[in-house]
Amino acid sequence: MTENAPASMYRTDEGMGLWEHRGKVAAVGVGHSPTARRWDGRAETCVGAISLIALRRAIEDAGVDPAEIDGLVMDPVTTTGAYWPKDKPVPPEVVGAFNSTDNPLDGIAGLSAEWILKNMPELTGIDFTMYGPGCMSNAICVAAQAVGDGLTHTCLVLKSWHNYEGRYYQGGANAGSDLPGTAALHALWGTPACYGTALQFAEYCRKYGKNHDMMAPFIENSRQNGLKFPEGYWASHRPEEITPEDYKAARWIAKPANLFDNDLPIMVSAAYLYTTAERARNMRQKPVYILNHAASNTRPRSLTPTLDEVEADTARTARKIYEGAGITAADLSFENMYDGFAQFHQFHIEGLGYRGMKFGEALDFYQTDISIHGPNPILPSGGNIGCGRSRFWMHTDSIQQIQERAGERQVTGVKPEIAVSGGPMPLGGRFTVWSATPD
Amino acid sequence: MILISFDIDGTLTVGDPPGILPMEMVRAVKEQGCLVGSCSDRPISAQRAIWASHNIEVDFTVSKHMLPDVKAEFAADVYYHIGDREDLDRRPALEAGFEFLWPHEAVEMPWVEGT
Amino acid sequence: MKQGVVPDDLTRPFWEAANEHRLVIQSCVACKHLQHPPAPVCRVCGSDTVEWKEMSGRGTIYNYGVVHDCPIRLLQEDQPFNVAVVMLAEDPGIQMYSHLPGTPVDEVPVGAEVEVTFEATANGQMVPEWRVVGSSGEGGEQA
Ligand SMILES: [Zn+2]
Repeated sequence: MTENAPASMYRTDEGMGLWEHRGKVAAVGVGHSPTARRWDGRAETCVGAISLIALRRAIEDAGVDPAEIDGLVMDPVTTTGAYWPKDKPVPPEVVGAFNSTDNPLDGIAGLSAEWILKNMPELTGIDFTMYGPGCMSNAICVAAQAVGDGLTHTCLVLKSWHNYEGRYYQGGANAGSDLPGTAALHALWGTPACYGTALQFAEYCRKYGKNHDMMAPFIENSRQNGLKFPEGYWASHRPEEITPEDYKAARWIAKPANLFDNDLPIMVSAAYLYTTAERARNMRQKPVYILNHAASNTRPRSLTPTLDEVEADTARTARKIYEGAGITAADLSFENMYDGFAQFHQFHIEGLGYRGMKFGEALDFYQTDISIHGPNPILPSGGNIGCGRSRFWMHTDSIQQIQERAGERQVTGVKPEIAVSGGPMPLGGRFTVWSATPD
Repeated sequence: MILISFDIDGTLTVGDPPGILPMEMVRAVKEQGCLVGSCSDRPISAQRAIWASHNIEVDFTVSKHMLPDVKAEFAADVYYHIGDREDLDRRPALEAGFEFLWPHEAVEMPWVEGT
Repeated sequence: MKQGVVPDDLTRPFWEAANEHRLVIQSCVACKHLQHPPAPVCRVCGSDTVEWKEMSGRGTIYNYGVVHDCPIRLLQEDQPFNVAVVMLAEDPGIQMYSHLPGTPVDEVPVGAEVEVTFEATANGQMVPEWRVVGSSGEGGEQA
């Protein structure tokens, strides 16, 4: 059985000094599956199947012999809100199309490392598997630490997402008439997922004298960048911009968060290949070295994080990021912090002090040139707003930008040398510092 | 005068997911002399692009919550909204004083009767 | 109407008190720290000796949002509605959510004083709710 990574694999504390494996681990391969809005019920499009596509593409991209790969780090959970209905039978033809595990929903509503290994016979050398649950941001921290620690030398990292018919979040307990007492303390009031972030944004606007319309250039830029991400949902299915007028006319979900402050749930899978700096030199792609990974385990004092709690933690996270990488904010060529929800992206980058930014200044910064062609790129990946809900576009983009193979998305106003990406939420995020060189 | 508002996704064949109502039907409704437009969660610019690409000149393109604005702007004897969702189409349409039709009901073009 | 509540071991004292129109919050016997949501141990000192302390039922509105697209079916008919965050008078770090019965949608007076009231949920379990002090008291499901 594959276990969750122990807490000790994440760099959670301040004062840990330079990361002991700084520059000794590299990303050398990227693979993405096609995207879909929802699962169409076919075996070849289930979450397991698209994971196999992503993994094989990452291996191919890196140019390694699959037999050389000895590690797999992944997230076994493939949704945050699309539930398999309790009484719905599991389609036998889908289960039967693969080598199954004891759990019939494996590969359909979740994904175990065992399922992957049973269905990738070419992976003959894997003797290390571990879960980095939550999102790709977690899994890549675990993989980086595992490679650095020598637990694996050539390691696949995987994150996949499924989505079903019906509205996200509206199944399960939300459709029922009763709630258990503990959940009820949060859930009785019917707040959508974006509510906590909307609250922080409301307080932010009051404190700094900003308003919702000031987010429009960020949303527009994110979608423009995402439309240049051929693997993304919007680029491949519905190449629609979000103009400032579109943004301002959208309906509220939880005011002050509107429809376009939220991302679209999709099906997608991405895989990376991590290896040691030495092995990376002989592989097909230019290595992207990992200078550090950092984590926040901060929890709010009560029901929902206050702006003070958010700002204190993003500042603390930035100190950890910079300390372990041995860099300062001035070294960042660009930033790729998370954006799903759009309204916390500014918390991440203000905490980083990106381009000298202080708390309360990001929305003014958004009114300047934040494009991939300017000197101050904001979220060149386009993130979840630009590409759909995956929480990994920013990692793929950071790797590809530094390899200078981001295509139409390639930043041109800065030389892509050092970048930071990570998320999800400001409290509880996981972050990676990427570099063109190991030192 | 009859005004007909179309949801897009899950309602029109060009939607995501595709619905059952073809663009030819919208064109036919327009030719009957009805006021026609879309009320969708798609960006308004994307709604306009869809209609332009099918050479259909619509009277309005609005976000999902804007049926009351449509009613205020256009004088008609009867207002219809056609959509596929209880929470995002039917309920807001009835609240805005529109008649509501599911796509399979709209196929029959019930508004033609008695006008 | 709010979904019903089935008290679990961790929260039973909270819900039982609500049925008696009392607001109680978990408090650490060792370090006096108040915590909500409750936990089996004190989140500050780790002590497992926690008790339930009755609060005055006074607080202030810290922040709010207006829910237009609610994931819970039972509440969708009430959209749009306020969801405010109340800070308790005893400790502003302790938050409680509120629909603010009696306060018009999106007209929430941030910083205003509120007092607790109790409202029945779908299965009859009472839940603490909050009312702006001096408001008309309309709306809500006053018990
Ligand atoms: Zn204590």
